[in-house]
Amino acid sequence: MQEGESVGSVGDIMGGGTSILPASAMRELKRFYGFDKPVYQRYLIWLGIWPREIKHREVEFPDGMIEAQKNVGRGNYMTLRLEGDKVSVYDKNGNLSDVWSASIDPDGSDEAMILATIFQTEYSGILTGNLGTSYTYDQPVTEVMAPRFKVSMFFGLTGLFLSYIVCIPLGIRKALNHGSAFDFLSSVTIFVAYSIPGFALGGVLLVIFGGGSFWDVFPLGGFRSPTEIWQELSVWGQIKDQLWHAILPIIAWSIGSFAGLTVLMKNSLLENISQDYIRTAFAKGLQEKRVIWVHAIRNSVIPIASGIGGIIGVVIAGSYLIEKVFNIDGFGKMGFEAIIDRDYPITLGFLVIVVMIRLVANILSDIALATVDPRIRFK
Amino acid sequence: MPENQEISLSILKKRWLKFKTLKRGYYSFILLIILYTLSWFLPLLINNRALVLSYEGEMYFPVLSGYHTGAEFGQDVPGEAVYRQLQATWTEADNGNWIIMPVYPYSPYEDITAVGNKMYDPPSNTHWLGTDNTGRDVFARLCYAFNISISFALVLTILNYIIGVIIGGSMGYFGGKFDLFFQRIIEIWSSLPMLFVIIIISSIIRPSFFLLIFIYTIVNWIGMTYLMRAEFYREKSKDYVAAALSMGQTNFKVMFKHILPNSLVPVITYFPFAVVGGISALVGLDYLGFGMPPPTPSWGQMLDVGLQNISKWWMVFAPVSAQFVTLIMVVFIGEAVREAFDPKVYSRLR
Repeated sequence: MQEGESVGSVGDIMGGGTSILPASAMRELKRFYGFDKPVYQRYLIWLGIWPREIKHREVEFPDGMIEAQKNVGRGNYMTLRLEGDKVSVYDKNGNLSDVWSASIDPDGSDEAMILATIFQTEYSGILTGNLGTSYTYDQPVTEVMAPRFKVSMFFGLTGLFLSYIVCIPLGIRKALNHGSAFDFLSSVTIFVAYSIPGFALGGVLLVIFGGGSFWDVFPLGGFRSPTEIWQELSVWGQIKDQLWHAILPIIAWSIGSFAGLTVLMKNSLLENISQDYIRTAFAKGLQEKRVIWVHAIRNSVIPIASGIGGIIGVVIAGSYLIEKVFNIDGFGKMGFEAIIDRDYPITLGFLVIVVMIRLVANILSDIALATVDPRIRFK
Repeated sequence: MPENQEISLSILKKRWLKFKTLKRGYYSFILLIILYTLSWFLPLLINNRALVLSYEGEMYFPVLSGYHTGAEFGQDVPGEAVYRQLQATWTEADNGNWIIMPVYPYSPYEDITAVGNKMYDPPSNTHWLGTDNTGRDVFARLCYAFNISISFALVLTILNYIIGVIIGGSMGYFGGKFDLFFQRIIEIWSSLPMLFVIIIISSIIRPSFFLLIFIYTIVNWIGMTYLMRAEFYREKSKDYVAAALSMGQTNFKVMFKHILPNSLVPVITYFPFAVVGGISALVGLDYLGFGMPPPTPSWGQMLDVGLQNISKWWMVFAPVSAQFVTLIMVVFIGEAVREAFDPKVYSRLR
C-alpha cells in the first residue's frame, strides 16, 4: 500500500487500493471495521464464540531486533520477543503473560521492519449481550436502544390494547347483527381502514390537525415536549402533554390491525354460531346470552389469541413509517436511520432484537392459544 | 332429454356470474381495468409534448418523435419547444399553423426549469392538484404513479405466486424431508423483518423497477407457500391423483395439470389482497426513499415531499387519496371475488 499517490475513496479503502490515508490509520480503520479478518471469523467474533481482540497497540521491530518493550498503560511494560514466526509477550518479571498476546501483522511488515500487534482477547458478542458500539452515537448499542425501545413499547402496547378493546366488541356486535345497517356501516369503516396505511393516515391527520393548513390542535410530532419544558410541568401536566402528543400516532398505530382484527372476530364468531354445539345449547333451553357469551365467544377468540404474537412483533418493531411521519425517536426510526448512516452495529443489533421479539411473541401466542383453548395442552 | 333440463354451467362460469351480481366489486373491477388500460396511454393524455402540430405546411408528432428544439418551430426559447406557449401564440396569430395538445398538457417531469412553472402552486384550473416542491405537476405525477404502482404490484404478486406455487406445491406434494427442510427455511425467513431487509439491500444497490421487484420477491415469496402447501397436501390424497399416477403420469404433470387447477381457489381469492400488499409496500419504500429511483413518479415520494411541506395540504392529500381510492377498489374486488369463489353461508340459529 502506498501513501499519498492519489485521492482515495471509500471503495479504495475497502478494496485495499491506493489512498491518501497514512498506513497506520489505514490499518486502524481495517481493524475497526474488521476487514483484517476472514468473514467467518468476523461472524464468530460478532456472535461471541471467537476471541475478540481489544486494546490493540502496535509494536515495531526494526530490522535485526528481536525484542521490544511496550507500555500497556499504568506504567506496565511488556516485553515482546520475536520467536520465529511468532511473538511472545513477557511481563516485567520475565514470565509469559497470560493477559496479553501478540501477533505479527503481515500488512504492515516489510523487509526493513516487522510490525506486531499486542492485544488482549475477550469473548464478547451478541451471545454475551454485547451488540457492539454504535458509530454514530459512540455509545454501546444496547444503551442507544433502551430508551428508544421504551418509546416504541409505549405506542405499540397502547395501540395494541386499544385495537383489542375496540375490535373484539365491534366484531362480536357485527356478527350478532350480521346483515344489519350497523354491520353495513361498520363494514364501510373497515374497508376504509384497510385501504389506508397507518402512516399515510398519520400524514393526513398531521395536515388536518397539526396546524399549517387547517386546525392547529395537535403537535407536529415528537414523543413528548422537549426536556426543558417537560421537566417544568406538574405530574398532571406531564400526563396531559404525553396524551396530547400521543393521540395522533396511536390512531395511526391502531388502524393497521383494526380492520383485520374486527373481520377475524366477526367471521370466527359467525362460524361458531352456525355450529352444532350452539344448536344443542339452544335446544337444551339455555338463554341466548349464555349461549353466545359463554359457549360461542370462548371458541371464537381462539384465532384472535393465536394472532397476538404476530401483532406484537409488528407493532413494536415494524413501525419505522409511523415513527418517521410523527418524528418520534423510537426503535424503528433508530433502525432506519442506522441504515442511512451505515451504522452496522445498530443495524445488525436491530435485526437481532426484532427477530428475538418475534420469536418471543410467537411463544406468547402459543401460550395465549393454550390458555383460551383447553383442547391444546403442552406435553 | 327432458326439454326443461338446464345445461349445467361450468364452475368458473357460475362464479363469474355470481361475481357480476356483486355490484360493488364488479364495477370496481371494470373501472380499475379501464383506468389501468388507459394508464398505458398516459403519454397521449397527460404530457407536455404536442400530439400533432402543423408548422408551415409540415406535420410533426412530438409525442412519438420526441425532442424538438424551439427554433424548429420559430420559437425563441432555449432547448426544447414549449408547446403550450406555441399553442397560445399560434391560436392568436391564426396563420395556418395549428397544434393539438394532450388533454392535460403537463408532464410529470417538467419542473421549475420549464417556462411558467412555479413551486408550491395551489390547485387551480391549470394545475388541477397544484405543483410540488420542484414545480412538477402533482396531478400528472399522480396518474403516472398509478400505472407504476399497479404494474409493480401485479408483476410482484405474479412472481411471488409462481415461486409460492412451485415451492409450496412441492412441499405439500412430496412431503417428507423436502417439506421439513423448506418449512425450517421458511420459519427462519419469515421471522426477519421484511421491509427492513429490503431497505438494507436497497441502501447498498440503487434499485430499478425490476431489481426492486426481484429484491421484494426474494424476501416475500413465503406468504403463498403456506396456502399452496396446505392445498397440495390435501389434494394429493384424493382419488384422481392416484388415478393419474397409476396411469403413469409424471410428478410434474400430476402437480401442475391435475392438482393445481383444483387448488386455485385460495390463489385467486388471495390475489387482490396480495396486490393491496404490493401497492402499500411500494408506497412505504418510496416514502422512506428506498423505492424507485428519482425522479420516477410515485405516491410514496409525493407523500414524503408533502409531509416535509405540511402547510401545502394538496401535496399530502393528493397521493393519499389516490392510493386510498385505488386500494379500496382492489379491496372491493377482493371481497367480491372471495364471495364468488368461496361463499360462506352463515345460518343463525334462533
